[in-house]
Amino acid sequence: MKILLVEDDIDTRTYVSSGLRAKGHAVDESGDGNEGLLRACAHDYDVIVLDRMLPALDGMSILKKLRGCGTQARVLMLTALGDVDARIDGMEAGADDYLGKPFALNELIARLNAISRRSAHANSMTLLRVGELELDLAMQRVHRAGKQIHLQPREWDLLKYFALHADEVVTRSMLLEHVWGFQSSPHTNLVDTHVCRLRSKIEREVGPRILRTVRGEGYMLSVKQGH
Amino acid sequence: MPLKVNVHVGARLRSAAFRLAVLQALLFALIALTLFLVSWFAARHYIENQLRQTIADEFAEVIAHPAAQRAGSIRRSLAQVPRGAYDYSLFDAHHKLIVGDIMKEPTPGWSTIEQDEGPRDGKDLVRRILVFGAVQDDGNTVVVGRDLASVDQLDALLKSVFTWAGLAAVVLALVGGMVTAGSYLRRVEAIADAASRIAAGDLAARVAVTGRGDEFDRLAFSLNSMLERIQSLVEGLRQVSNDIAHDLRTPLTHMRQRLEAAMEEATSVEAYGKACERAVADVDSVLDTFAALLRIAKVESRQRREGFADVALSALLERLVDDYRPVMEDEERPFTAAIATGLHVHGDALLLTQMLVNLLENGLHHTPLGTPVSVKLDTTEHGCRLVIEDAGAGIPSEERSRVLKRFVRLDAARSSPGSGLGLSLVAAVADLHGIALALGDANPGLRVQLDFPS
Repeated sequence: MKILLVEDDIDTRTYVSSGLRAKGHAVDESGDGNEGLLRACAHDYDVIVLDRMLPALDGMSILKKLRGCGTQARVLMLTALGDVDARIDGMEAGADDYLGKPFALNELIARLNAISRRSAHANSMTLLRVGELELDLAMQRVHRAGKQIHLQPREWDLLKYFALHADEVVTRSMLLEHVWGFQSSPHTNLVDTHVCRLRSKIEREVGPRILRTVRGEGYMLSVKQGH
Repeated sequence: MPLKVNVHVGARLRSAAFRLAVLQALLFALIALTLFLVSWFAARHYIENQLRQTIADEFAEVIAHPAAQRAGSIRRSLAQVPRGAYDYSLFDAHHKLIVGDIMKEPTPGWSTIEQDEGPRDGKDLVRRILVFGAVQDDGNTVVVGRDLASVDQLDALLKSVFTWAGLAAVVLALVGGMVTAGSYLRRVEAIADAASRIAAGDLAARVAVTGRGDEFDRLAFSLNSMLERIQSLVEGLRQVSNDIAHDLRTPLTHMRQRLEAAMEEATSVEAYGKACERAVADVDSVLDTFAALLRIAKVESRQRREGFADVALSALLERLVDDYRPVMEDEERPFTAAIATGLHVHGDALLLTQMLVNLLENGLHHTPLGTPVSVKLDTTEHGCRLVIEDAGAGIPSEERSRVLKRFVRLDAARSSPGSGLGLSLVAAVADLHGIALALGDANPGLRVQLDFPS
């Protein structure tokens, strides 16, 4: 992916950009809002990581102007700790996702993958296929090898989210935010319980796992082996 | 203390109430002047009319005599002792005085003349006389007049009465204004004194309420309730700062110990990695605490009220119950939910969800596996009531109000992870929405009752 990182704190910027480069992404960096906006409009990025608090021009203003200059890049907004309104404000201004600081690098990478242009076209699809699984998005039905599987509403939401992000790591907090709409993580294993139930319904008793747990990161729906 | 008195008088002269008193005095003076002018003109007019009437009557009497006898009649009238109130004169066609005490023939009709009577009592006496004269058939002019001294005396009397009365009114208005200003100033000063004491650090200072129930009392009352709120906020802040410092010391101390131990003892990359992992977990718990504190502060700042909208409470709760049912089943907890359908409230859906999640999690977190949990939503007279009960150990009644405060964790919960902020957030969200939150006894266990306003 081609990524633009607009962040004024040099430590965070260095940490994030080297982490992203290590994963094989091309990263451009910018330390202030005006320069970030110029770069974003001049180049064709897949994803822009935008800090909300920036000197000169803040993240929200950049976001509004970005949409004006016609860039197709997806935007992930970084927000201050505990800023509960940031999500609503950011989403209203046109951000594709947001992440509160501080964050784990894996979380950021998973979210960038999720919003990048590769998965964007999925929004217009009506049928999703992952291995034997076939999701009818219009009818909200799922079939495995032609046989319908009955899911609870939340299990359907969960599976749809996994299928839209097939072959990508999906973190627990992504699921809590995008499937449940919660803002802070519960103490109980709510996510694990639901994933476990979904797994028992969509996987065959024998054969390879398709909804895998990625230790320390989250889950991944994938039919590819050895990912 | 002359200085103190001067300062006092100076303050009084500068006060808004005194300025009002001066204005009031000016207004009084103006009213007195107007009253004087109106009454003076009216009285003068009346008396002059009366005078003219009597002069006209007397004139008619004089000309009622035949022309030849007029001079004689005038002479007789003037010779009367005591002398009558009227002056008479008869002038011939050549304006020469035939008889009478008006020396100069006035113009015909009504007029006022001044006549020098020569020195009397050491100074010249000038009489003002209102006269009426008319030429008769025989060519002579008859003039009848009357002294205006009585009218002039009345004028003088009226002027002096109104001058003194006006002055008295102005002085009274000024003195009254000063007294009123003084009493207002004293009460304003009392408020200013209380404010300075607070500014000087005495947060317990309050404005005195006189009990008269007037505007000043109402002001004092509102100020006092504002001060009450400020004091509780400041004390809360002080308490929270202490609690934060205390609560964060533990994980930070642990982290320091671990890192120190790793530096001294770890010999392999794995051992360092393990130490780092645990240190990161410690930092995460500190960050979680901060995030929760910030979230509570944000809710308590009440900014979120602007985003309130209609929330389908029944539907929201049903989804939550469906979400938690598998968790309950896995933990072998009997889980009952009785949710009245179609209930709506005015609020913030995200915060209400967070509040309900915290309450459900609380029930799961603080009770042993297998403990029943129940959720009930129903309508009441004033809105709707949500009751969440568990059959765990419950909270002793004396601890129930305390657990809603930040960082309060009961002894039984100290061993398990948690920040002691979950119920604080619940209390903050409930307060924001005007929900009455009550912790009670479920016999056994904790009963959380939320009364939503309609």
